[in-house]
Amino acid sequence: MDKKVNPVSKESPLPPAASVVGVSKFFGKTSVLENITFHVAEGEALVLLGASGSGKTTILRIIAGLEQPYTGKIILHNKDVTELPARERGVGVIFQSYALFPKMTVEKNIGYGLRIRHRPRKEVKKTVNELLELVQLQEHRKKYPSQLSGGQQQRVAIARTLAYNPEVLLFDEPFGALDAQTRGHLRREIRALLKKVNVPAIFITHDQEEALELGDRIAVINVGHIEQIGTPYQVYNNPATEYVATFLGAANILEGVIRRDHVEIGSTHIPARVDEERFREGQVVKLIFRPEDVSLSKTQALPAGHACLSSGIVEETSFIGAYERLRIRLEAPGGGASETGDTPYYLTTETPESQSAKPIIATRPKPETMAVKLRRGDRVFVGLHYFTILPKDPRTRTGAESNR
Amino acid sequence: MSSLIPTMRHVRGFDVARPLSIGMLIFMMLPLVFLPLLSIFIFGTSKGLANFWAALTASDAIFALKLSMVTSFWATVFNVLFGLFAAYVLSRYNFWGRNALIVTISLPTAIPTAVAGVALLMLWGPYGMLGRLLRPHGIEVMFTASAIVLANIFVTFPLAFGVIKPVFDTMSRSLEEASATIGATRWQTFWHVTLPSLRGAIVSGALLTFARAVGEFGSTIMVSGNLAGRTQTAPLYIFAKFNEGQIEAANAIAIVLALFSFLIFSVLFFARDWLDVD
Repeated sequence: MDKKVNPVSKESPLPPAASVVGVSKFFGKTSVLENITFHVAEGEALVLLGASGSGKTTILRIIAGLEQPYTGKIILHNKDVTELPARERGVGVIFQSYALFPKMTVEKNIGYGLRIRHRPRKEVKKTVNELLELVQLQEHRKKYPSQLSGGQQQRVAIARTLAYNPEVLLFDEPFGALDAQTRGHLRREIRALLKKVNVPAIFITHDQEEALELGDRIAVINVGHIEQIGTPYQVYNNPATEYVATFLGAANILEGVIRRDHVEIGSTHIPARVDEERFREGQVVKLIFRPEDVSLSKTQALPAGHACLSSGIVEETSFIGAYERLRIRLEAPGGGASETGDTPYYLTTETPESQSAKPIIATRPKPETMAVKLRRGDRVFVGLHYFTILPKDPRTRTGAESNR
Repeated sequence: MSSLIPTMRHVRGFDVARPLSIGMLIFMMLPLVFLPLLSIFIFGTSKGLANFWAALTASDAIFALKLSMVTSFWATVFNVLFGLFAAYVLSRYNFWGRNALIVTISLPTAIPTAVAGVALLMLWGPYGMLGRLLRPHGIEVMFTASAIVLANIFVTFPLAFGVIKPVFDTMSRSLEEASATIGATRWQTFWHVTLPSLRGAIVSGALLTFARAVGEFGSTIMVSGNLAGRTQTAPLYIFAKFNEGQIEAANAIAIVLALFSFLIFSVLFFARDWLDVD
């Protein structure tokens, strides 16, 4: 991964400015959140990433004071605000729909927080002017929300919350309603803006690309609990659970058995540093690797640092623009026919549910596709550059990393 | 024949169905609406404008018009405020019996107005459930202007509510939530955020209520006592004069009421854009 290479600490090194501690929540008898705890530092951006229905929006609403937690505390700048109503918390929420007041002009919207606090008119005017400049909407100040584009509306929504110096900024699926181009553009704008205002920010999204780009850290939420929290680098490269691996990017999953210094997959041995505290010899594990960590070669000569997994037959190639995606059906490792019945290949791509004997997915960058053309039916050798080993039992959430 | 119809239907982009259907619509409305309205104007002014003016400025006539306006005004004020409150409660909170309440509030639309009048008499009348208790204290509600207001309220009860509630229902909760997170109190949120979005619905609701109340007859005649110059509203005046054979007097007021409703519905129709959005 590119930026933010800080694969060490799980917790942010800075003191927390906003904390969610042990929050759980029930809707009727169904538990929607269980024991959610995380901290966000001043100026830090944390992304809550999860599928719809994972409970991420509920976390946001609890922080904002729009929902009450069943247990747990919300602490903003060392103050326990759990019992306070939304209006006394001083949080800034950017709603998915922006929730701009339709009967107020842009400047009225931005000044609303100050007007209801009965600040002097001069101060309101000054702050509104500064914020209009910050979000570059000076020439639209007299317009109504319905006259603005989606991106402009969102900037008004951000300015409106910044006006009263919020303790924390909460973004609920901020780019959901925008087209792909505006999205990318606004993402960079918001990141730059956050660096300027230096408040803790919490984003909610189901879009993994957005999470990787926006977050200083990412918390992956699955059915009401945090699967993993860490920097984008950690979460992407060392997923703690199979869910994280498959939700954040595509992943191939093979089943194997732990041996002293390698993982045994069928008759193939993949050398690996095995953490003896986590895995015992003979334990059945899952080997997880990303399509881009697969190397393909027509000869048995794989690039240095790649362990040969097996040979395989190219089943399909598709052109995805920046790279080529190939579907490869593995032949039995070692080159023989696939008769090693006791450890079949459990392969998945994208979702952990589709646990059938599927082929693996590999991607190749453009230069490589130009140099070596691969077609349907070609026989290739499949090498692995980087992978993660996880226990097979999904209840154990501790992961182990292994890197040759 | 079969080859003829397509050519008839479409002659060089000219759609025969268009003038035909418009013509038919107008033709059907002639005896149903246009001609009756027209005849009021023709009869009302047939004996000259001076006579018309005299009929209009007769003291009982002026009193009747005034009484109609005043009682309708108070009924409107009450029903808009109540409708606003009821719509807020019934669209914001979900509780047991909510739907039963909605049906009950909407019921007066379907009740014959004469029944409404009888119902009010049974409650407030001299021998009614409440009236019987109030009478010894010298409080008489029936056969006064208050009775007319009560009848108007009863009959127009669902109108403002019916217009305002859908707006509440479709109004995004996130607007009010946004206002709360920004730091507004409930009252500030209502005043600055909720109410402006309801402006159109409130104005339309008020106009509908008022128009309906001014024209109310069935319940008013039961509860007002129909005393000329005291408790006689404009529609009652028309009815009384007609019965006395004074067609012009009846017509003069009828013209005023017809013009008045025409005005109200023109406002509702042409100001629709202003009422709905900015």
